[in-house]
Amino acid sequence: MTFRQRHLALPVVVAIVAGCIAPLAVLVAFSFYEVEDFDLIPAFSFRAWGDLATSTTDWFLIGKAVLSGVATTVFTALLGFPVALALTRLAASAKGLAIIVLLTPLYTGEIVRIYAWRIVLGGEGLVNTLLLALGLIDEPLKFLLFSPFTIGLVLTYNNLPFMVLAIWVSAEMVDRRLIEAARDLGARPVDAFFRVIFPLTTPGLAAGSLTVFALSAGEMLTPSLLGGTSGATAMALVDNLFGTAFDWPLASALALALLATLFLVASAMAGLLLRLKGARAVIGRA
Amino acid sequence: MQRFILNRRQMLGGLAAGAGLSLLGPMGRASAAVSEIVWATWDSNGHPEYVEAFEKATGTKVKLSFLSSEDAQFAALKTGSASDWDVVNPSLNQARRYIKAGELMPLDLTKVPNLAHMYDVFKATEKVKGEDGQTYAIPYLWGLNPIVYRADIHTEEPTYSTLFDPKFKGQLAMRDYALESIAIAALHIGIPRDRAFLLTSDELAEVKKALIAQKPLLRTYWQTIGDLTNLIATGEVTAAFSWRVPYDALKDKMKVAMAKPKAGIMGWCDCFAIPSSLPDEKIETAYKFADYLLGADYAATIAEIGNYATTSSIIRDKLTPEKQEAIFIDDLSVMQNFMWPEAPENYSEWLKVWNEVKAA
Repeated sequence: MTFRQRHLALPVVVAIVAGCIAPLAVLVAFSFYEVEDFDLIPAFSFRAWGDLATSTTDWFLIGKAVLSGVATTVFTALLGFPVALALTRLAASAKGLAIIVLLTPLYTGEIVRIYAWRIVLGGEGLVNTLLLALGLIDEPLKFLLFSPFTIGLVLTYNNLPFMVLAIWVSAEMVDRRLIEAARDLGARPVDAFFRVIFPLTTPGLAAGSLTVFALSAGEMLTPSLLGGTSGATAMALVDNLFGTAFDWPLASALALALLATLFLVASAMAGLLLRLKGARAVIGRA
Repeated sequence: MQRFILNRRQMLGGLAAGAGLSLLGPMGRASAAVSEIVWATWDSNGHPEYVEAFEKATGTKVKLSFLSSEDAQFAALKTGSASDWDVVNPSLNQARRYIKAGELMPLDLTKVPNLAHMYDVFKATEKVKGEDGQTYAIPYLWGLNPIVYRADIHTEEPTYSTLFDPKFKGQLAMRDYALESIAIAALHIGIPRDRAFLLTSDELAEVKKALIAQKPLLRTYWQTIGDLTNLIATGEVTAAFSWRVPYDALKDKMKVAMAKPKAGIMGWCDCFAIPSSLPDEKIETAYKFADYLLGADYAATIAEIGNYATTSSIIRDKLTPEKQEAIFIDDLSVMQNFMWPEAPENYSEWLKVWNEVKAA
């Protein structure tokens, strides 16, 4: 890379610093403030951090965010791989159409999708009506809506396109001749997948995983509107603390703790994925 | 310790000084009649037709600026990001927060003659007064938050204890809001209504147990009133602590009814208030607007279109009995059962309990 090309990144770096690092610095400062009669008072108080450290609720919700992110990542990866590989086999003209179809769910707003899920999964919804009509159940399945199952299902559905796209881009770059060579040398399709395709698509898997993890771990609307009484999230708590409670220091501390935890988990995920043999081969370093 | 208080007045003052805008001040004040006031309020309180009569009578246009939440309104005043608001809309139960923060102007009640028609329960409230004894806000619109229920499923009129009854497991909903939900649980476990917002730590612990025991019975916690309307319409929920909105929206489509529990009815009440930074030349118009909100024209149009009652008795006797019933003023004894949700001194403890219940 030449000196000049590197400088092209400067505006973006400045934007990242201004748009991300600066607000973070503000959060750090606020987390040491005190609140008195709805006024924020600059101080060097550890009250908020103390409250956070001793709150089982806060850490439970942070843990729940991590779990939700990891689970969604695993589900989308398992479901996304076959879809992405199938995409590579399509004719060029069909690929464009397939991608548009794949992204269709994202064109509707999140709120529209949430209320649509209620119509599909509700007690008097499509799925239950169908199962009742077929005589497969006697009573509506209540767990379909307003349960952890619903959150898992909808987060997986919402995030699947991001995973598929990322893996697909990687899979397109796999040299077909390598797969053919593996098959010619006697590898079963399963072996060809695990020893050739999977390692060579790890960068895509890593990109997809990090995207899906970030999007799903921080999701607030879907759990709160479809998760029923199990819909509490750390994000909603941060929102509540900034708004209703006017406890900006604790809100800041919780937001920072959540961010740090998610960052650590994401780094660990990236580290693990990119250490795989194939990833090293593709990236060419490490 | 330096206090970091950034309110509208100082923000504007700072801006004006910094940019040399103060030079423009006298020019702006040259015109005598106020051509427009901006009213920050809820969309349900401020339809354009509700303020038409005021605009005709005074020649001042009322520009409506709709609020998204009480907290957002408070934050906007606090940070100075709503500097164009001339009249604001704190709720009765949160008024003290605005007063304490110095965001509101003390009011001269002699400039609001229609106060004479106000129902006593609103006249008597101390919640609009500051520690200096002055009045900072005027209650103008109120209503009840009933239990909305499916009359075909609940043959007996529900009480708050219905919301804790295992018989209705999976059909109940509570609002995702600490203040009301905790108070309802307090009433359910037998704490009298005059103490429902004054719970001790021990009582809070008892309430928390009741709310955690209630969780498996609930279909969900509702977030917005549109959310709850949807839940009732789709049959997911058959009884919930509610606002009246789902009842009005669904009463022609299904058998829904409103219950007003004897244990205590949660009321809501919105207030008129003037931001402390309002320029002098607009103050007279703001008072005229306060008087309008307590007058006959506003009361008549909002009763007709929105099914809400103002705090003034000015047109009550001219309404049909049906309309009186619809807006809860047929039987005025209802006002004896009012409970005004009020942020308690230990509110942060309440919020903590609520968050623990939800994460349990």
